[in-house]
Amino acid sequence: MKPLVVDRVVKQYGDKTAVNGISLEVDRGEIYGLLGANGAGKTTTMRMVLGLIFPDEGQILYDGKPYAKEQLQRIGYLPEERGLYPKVKVSEQLVYLARLKGMTASAADKSLKNWLERFNVPEYYDKRVEELSKGNQQKIQFIATIIHSPQLLILDEAFSGLDPVNVELLKSTVKELRDNGSTILFSTHRMEHVEELCRNITILHRSNEQVKGSLKEIKGRFPRERVRLTAESEITGLEELPGVLGVKLLEQGGYEIRIADEASGRGILHHAMSQSEISRFEIMEPTLNEIFIKTVGESHE
Amino acid sequence: MSDFWTVTGFTFRNKTKGKAFIVTTLILVIILSLVINLPYIISLFKGDGGADVKNVGYVSVQSESIESKVTPTLVGAWLKEYYASQPEDSRKLAMVAIEGSGDAAADEATLKKAIADGSIDGYLQLKPNATTGFYDAIYNSEKMMDNSATEELRTGLQIVKSNAAGLTDEQKKLLYTPVEVSALQINAGSGEGSGRTATQQGVNMGLVYAMLFLLFMTIMATGTVIASEVTTEKSSRIMEVLITSVSPLNSMFGKIFGMFLVGLLQIAIYIGVVIINVNIPTNTEALGNLNINLSDVSYDLLIVSLLFYLTGFFLYATLYAAVGSIVSRTEDLGQAVMPLTFLSLAGFYLGMFNLTNPDSMLVKVTSFIPFLSPYVMVVRTGVGSVEYWEIGVSLLIMLVSIYLLGWLSAKIYRTGVLMYGKRPTIKELRKAMKAYKF
Repeated sequence: MKPLVVDRVVKQYGDKTAVNGISLEVDRGEIYGLLGANGAGKTTTMRMVLGLIFPDEGQILYDGKPYAKEQLQRIGYLPEERGLYPKVKVSEQLVYLARLKGMTASAADKSLKNWLERFNVPEYYDKRVEELSKGNQQKIQFIATIIHSPQLLILDEAFSGLDPVNVELLKSTVKELRDNGSTILFSTHRMEHVEELCRNITILHRSNEQVKGSLKEIKGRFPRERVRLTAESEITGLEELPGVLGVKLLEQGGYEIRIADEASGRGILHHAMSQSEISRFEIMEPTLNEIFIKTVGESHE
Repeated sequence: MSDFWTVTGFTFRNKTKGKAFIVTTLILVIILSLVINLPYIISLFKGDGGADVKNVGYVSVQSESIESKVTPTLVGAWLKEYYASQPEDSRKLAMVAIEGSGDAAADEATLKKAIADGSIDGYLQLKPNATTGFYDAIYNSEKMMDNSATEELRTGLQIVKSNAAGLTDEQKKLLYTPVEVSALQINAGSGEGSGRTATQQGVNMGLVYAMLFLLFMTIMATGTVIASEVTTEKSSRIMEVLITSVSPLNSMFGKIFGMFLVGLLQIAIYIGVVIINVNIPTNTEALGNLNINLSDVSYDLLIVSLLFYLTGFFLYATLYAAVGSIVSRTEDLGQAVMPLTFLSLAGFYLGMFNLTNPDSMLVKVTSFIPFLSPYVMVVRTGVGSVEYWEIGVSLLIMLVSIYLLGWLSAKIYRTGVLMYGKRPTIKELRKAMKAYKF
C-alpha cells in the first residue's frame, strides 16, 4: 500500500480547470518531483494533497485510506511563500507549531534544539524572526516543517533564496529524511535539484500531465541531441559535417555540438580524430532543463 | 480540543507580553488612579477652609431706597447677619460694610478701591424695582461667570426679603423647610411589591452605564485586535502552515477565547486598581460623601449584564475574525470592519439615549435583535421593567445567533484565509466556499 496515491483528481474554479486528471503515486523513501511552469496547477495539487481543498473528481488515498483530520499531524508542509510570526521568538513559535502537530512542549523543544544545532544556528533559539536574514528565516521555516518528523512531507520550492552552502545543507537533510522512510512530494523550478533527488516526476502544463514517469525512462524517451567534444587542439570544419545543426565553443574549452540524430555522432568523432587527440567525446543525455523547456515551451506556441 | 487550548495559550502569552498591551494597560491604570485621587488632590491645593469665603462689600449709606424703613443699608446688614449665622465650614460669603458718603459715584470709587487693595472680592449694588417692590441686586466683581457667589446672594436675598415683609419666625420656618419628595420605581406588570428606591435606581443606572461602556469598549478594542491578528497571520503567510496543523474552528475560536482572556485580565487589573485606590484612607472620606452604597446593586441586573456582556462579546468577535480573514492587507482592515463598528455603535447609542425612557416600543423591539440586545436588554433590566421570559427569549436568540454566525464565520474564515489579492465579493466568497472542505 503506497503512502500517497493521487488518483485522477480534477479541480475546477468556476469555469476554469485548475487541475485536470492528475495521478501520481509516491512510495516510502521516495521523493516525487512535481514540475511545471507558473500557474500550471502545482500548488492546487499540493493543497488537495494537504486536504485543504476537496477535489471535484478522483480521490487521494493515504496508506489506502481517504483523508481524515488525523492526517494533519503526520504531514509537514513547507509553503511556497514563507511565513512566520515576525515578532515572536523562534523557540516560542516553533514549539507552538509543533504542539499543534501533536508533540509535547518538551519533546518539541528538544527536537528544535537538535535541529538548530544541526543547522549550525543554535544562537537563533532566543531571537525574534524579524531579526534574522531572509535565508536564515528559510532555515527556521524548514525546521518548522520537519520538527515533528512527519511521514509525509510536502515541499513547495524548498530551496529558493538560499546560498549554495545552505542549499547543500538542506538537500542533505531532505535526502536523510528520504532514507529514513519519509514520503516526499517536491516542487521546484531548479531542474538540477530534481535530477539529483527525484526518482519519478510529473511535468504539469496548463493543468494537464504533460510528461510523467521515472526520470531515467523520460530521459530515454527524448533523443540525445548533444555532443560534448574536447580535444588537444582546434578542430575545424565541424559545421559542414552531415547531421550537425550547430556548434558552440565553450568557455572552459571544447565544443558543444547539436545534432539531428545519434547516428551523426560517428561522423563527428571520425572527423575530430583525424585532426587532433581527443580527450573527451560524449553523446549527452538530454538534461531535465531541456526536457522541461521542450515540453512546456513547445505547446506554448 | 487540546489544539484549542494551545492556540488560546499562545495568543494570550503573546498579547500580554506585547508592548502595546503593557503600555495601554499602564496608561489606563495611571488615569484611573488620578481620577479617583482627584478629589483629594484638589483639596490639597485648596488649603484651609476659611480661605474660600468671599468678602462682599456694600455701602452703609445709600441714597436710593423704596421706602425709608427698608434701606439698602438695612438689607446689607440683614445679609451680613444671615451669612454670619451660617455654620463656619459651609459659609461661602461674608458681607463687609464700607462707610459711604451718600454720593453714588464717590461710593463706587471707594468700593472699587477696596477690591483693588484686596479687602473685598466684589460688591453688591441694590437698585429699587418698582414692579416687585424690592431691590434688584448687581454683584460686581473682577471674575467672569462667578455663579456660586450670585447664587449664594440670590438665596440670601430671598431669605432676608421675608424680613421686609415682617413675617414671624414661625412663618419663616414653615416657608423655608424643604418638602421631602422621594421616587419609588415599581414593576406594574409582574405585580411584585419590590420597587426600587431612588438610591437603588441611581446605583442601577450607574451599573448600566458602566456595562454599556464596558461592552462597547471591549468589542471595539478586542474585536479590532482579533481582526488584525487574523489579517497579519494571513498576510505573513503563516496561515498556510497553521491551517495544515489545526482545524479552522479551533484556530479561530482559540484566538477569540485567548483575546477574551486578555480583555478579562485587563478589566481585572482595572477593577483591582479602582479597589486599591478607593480604599486609600484619604479617598474613602472623599468618596463617602458621594453617597454610593454598593450593596444596593440588584443581583438580577448583575447576572443579566454579565450574560449579555459575554454573549455580546462572542457574537461580535466571531464576525470580526471572519472579516479579518477575508482581508489580505492590514491597510484594508479599517474599512472592512466599519459596518461591524457601526452596528455596535448603534446598539450603544440605543442603550444610552433610552436610559431615561426604557419602556418605549423601540427599546422593546430592539431588545430582541441579536446585535443590539446586549446593550438594550441591559438597559431594560437595569432601569426599565422586564419579565424573566423576555430575558430568556432574548438570550436564546443571542445563543442561536452565536451558533449560526459562528458557523458562518468559521466557513468564511476557512475560505478567506486562502484567498489572496483583492477583497473578495460575497459572490466570489460563496463560490470559493463550495471548493473547500470543512
